Amino acid sequence: MDYPIFDVGIGGGVLMGMVAITHVIVAHFAIGGGLVIAASETLAARRGDRELRELAKRSSLMLILVSTVFGAISGVGIWVVAGLISPATISALIHTYVWGWAIEWTFFIVEIVAALVYYATWDRIARRTHVMIGWIYFVAAYLSLVVINGIVTFMLTPGRWLETGAFWDGFFNPTYWPALVLRTGIVLVMAVSFMVFPALRASPAARPRLARWLGGWLLAGVALAYAGYRWWEAALPESTRALFLGERPGLTALADTRSFLLWALTAVLGLGLLVLVAAPRALRRPTAALLMVAGFAFFGGYERLREGVRKPFLIHDYMFSNGILVSEIARLNEEGILSRAGWAAHAAAEDPAGAGRAIFRAQCASCHTLDGYQALRPLIDPDFIEANLYALWEQGGEYVPGEPVDKAKLDYPFMPPFVGTEDELAALAGYLSSLAVPAPPTVAGGGP
Amino acid sequence: MSPDLVPRLDPIPLPGPPWLFQVLLVLTFFLHVVFMNLTLGGTLLAAVAQARAGGVGDYRSTLASRLMGINTYGISLTITTGIAPLLFVQLLYQQFFYSATILIGGVWLAFLGMLLVGYYAAYAYKFRGAPAARPGRGRGGGAGWLALAAVLFLLIAMVHVAVNLIHAQPGKWAALAANPWSILADRVYWPRLLHFLFASLGFSALVAAWWAVRQARAGREPELNGEIAGWAWRWVLWTTLLQVADGFVLLFVLPREVLLGLMRGGLATLLPLGAAIVLGLGLLMMISRVRRPVEEPGTVTGVLAAMLLTIAVMSITRQQVRALYLEPVTSGVELASAPQWGNVVLFALLLIAGLAVVGYMVREVLRHPATGPEAA
Repeated sequence: MDYPIFDVGIGGGVLMGMVAITHVIVAHFAIGGGLVIAASETLAARRGDRELRELAKRSSLMLILVSTVFGAISGVGIWVVAGLISPATISALIHTYVWGWAIEWTFFIVEIVAALVYYATWDRIARRTHVMIGWIYFVAAYLSLVVINGIVTFMLTPGRWLETGAFWDGFFNPTYWPALVLRTGIVLVMAVSFMVFPALRASPAARPRLARWLGGWLLAGVALAYAGYRWWEAALPESTRALFLGERPGLTALADTRSFLLWALTAVLGLGLLVLVAAPRALRRPTAALLMVAGFAFFGGYERLREGVRKPFLIHDYMFSNGILVSEIARLNEEGILSRAGWAAHAAAEDPAGAGRAIFRAQCASCHTLDGYQALRPLIDPDFIEANLYALWEQGGEYVPGEPVDKAKLDYPFMPPFVGTEDELAALAGYLSSLAVPAPPTVAGGGP
Repeated sequence: MSPDLVPRLDPIPLPGPPWLFQVLLVLTFFLHVVFMNLTLGGTLLAAVAQARAGGVGDYRSTLASRLMGINTYGISLTITTGIAPLLFVQLLYQQFFYSATILIGGVWLAFLGMLLVGYYAAYAYKFRGAPAARPGRGRGGGAGWLALAAVLFLLIAMVHVAVNLIHAQPGKWAALAANPWSILADRVYWPRLLHFLFASLGFSALVAAWWAVRQARAGREPELNGEIAGWAWRWVLWTTLLQVADGFVLLFVLPREVLLGLMRGGLATLLPLGAAIVLGLGLLMMISRVRRPVEEPGTVTGVLAAMLLTIAVMSITRQQVRALYLEPVTSGVELASAPQWGNVVLFALLLIAGLAVVGYMVREVLRHPATGPEAA
């Protein structure tokens, strides 16, 4: 909040979504691909199966080009984008988990070197050594997931960390293990989603055999993903579950996302059974592409749900989406938001009439644009805006530092409370009213 | 100064003593910059060599292919080793670093795209365009990919120098918010960029020369490798000469307080700075005395070791310069810390284990080369 604002037309959330979702898809393929490639080469060596070996070899080129290039750069991209759109959050995460990331980095070094060596030494070193390097790659890649999973799940369910602030309390949080099982399933689904394409290049005679081999991995992945997902749902706090589960979910959009991802997973299962196991001759480019789309849809849907149920927080019960801490609501209500938002205050000082705009930038702009993503302008009703903001201001009272909030009780469960003084509330209301789309002029007599 | 624009410190304490993170920042930056030199300088040098090559079979063409052959791996390692210093700089200098990246948010974001395209362009050259890979096709298409990668990597260097100068000077933020491009008019900007550029060219040329000398001494294509070594060595000489000159320019265009801080910092600052200057001048003498590098392999290896040492001590000076730049806004600010010693030990053990596994893999690969049916 006290950082300068990076104006991105499409909205910070969309930008982050684009970078993060493409990254996780590739990163999960990098892990699952490692397992299936290493297993394929091992089995191929044992059986003398040249086609299976070729599948491993072709997939390893894909792994290099997709994972070590795009995956590595988009991974850095998540930090880059987070630093631009929500610096306070990424700073809080890094302060808490710098050692987690540092440890993950040690695995990452092994993973990258192993990937490069593995790819570069096909046909050049002894088989046993090559197979071993493949397995080293997979183990290092999986260990990096083991670490990152702790940090990602911490953001949604920080658990006892809220009281203790202790690294391991946040790391092994209530959704750590379910999410690890779920992601283990996802890595296999992603691996097969990518590897069906190199499998298509095998000879027609070998293709069904390779399809069934990949089908086995896919079914295992779907089973793990489904079990992990249901466990993950069960591990969420009741008030979070109430947002998207049950007969009357609090937020129908999230309930729809849940249905979407479960249908997508069903589609993965159905397509996998059909084109990989039952009728592997039906594996063609279009069916492979469908399988891949279904896999991405499931994973993308889950990521969206996970992000969605976390709102209005970036770190649940600790920091809101706009970087304001639960623990500072009372003080900021007393001293004013502009007391802390140096950049917003700087802008306001240059334009004395711009205090409202400065408050908008400090509190709203991290999620809302005026006319683009999550556009605010069409939602503004000048007659009610002050009352709406007042309700949001009152909602701040529901948050108690160090205690989980019951989102079911909130009128605006997606929105952080408004914080600041009464004057600031009036200034923001004035600014937002000035943006409202004017009502269409009414023609006397009405009607055409 | 506008310290009111400096965001407050993160309320969560550092999970270790600040000195430890500073040491890790410098160490990992050193690792990163070694590979970064190969990526930036190696690609630029390959592009020049490719452009100057007379045709297929020209030693400069071989040099370009050779440099890019290792660069597709080198770029990966540049990114991998860059992650750690990026992590530690965010931890130690969050309020400065994030503000700087936001102030030039568009280009900072664009650097990711440039890296992505540059990396794939390097692969495109390696797989499709390299003359060695497509004999008979001359120097056509490949040179374009290579030039594209070289230009993009140079632009990335420009972005990084900009972010580093902006984050160190909060006093300029208000002006930069109005016109971010004004950072290009900072009198330190161009000498600093050139300092990285000359270093990267010199280091890459040196690595290329060192490898060619080793190959020639082992009896592999001695004539070709001799030519490569001779050509690369001239690049080592000229870029080091320019580097030493630019180093003095950079030193004297530093803001007065920063320069004075370096001079008054006692052994802590004068030792690394003095060592870097002595090493730079020493390198120049050593390099200029070599007429035919193939005949003096010991000196070539010595120059490589001395250059690595120079990069290491310059990494320390770079960190000290940052601290001096930021002193007006950080003096009196104590970074709170609540060390997680268990995690420090875990990290250290895993780093050692990880490096051991890397060493093991490399050793196994070297020990068990195979071709034909025995090969993987």
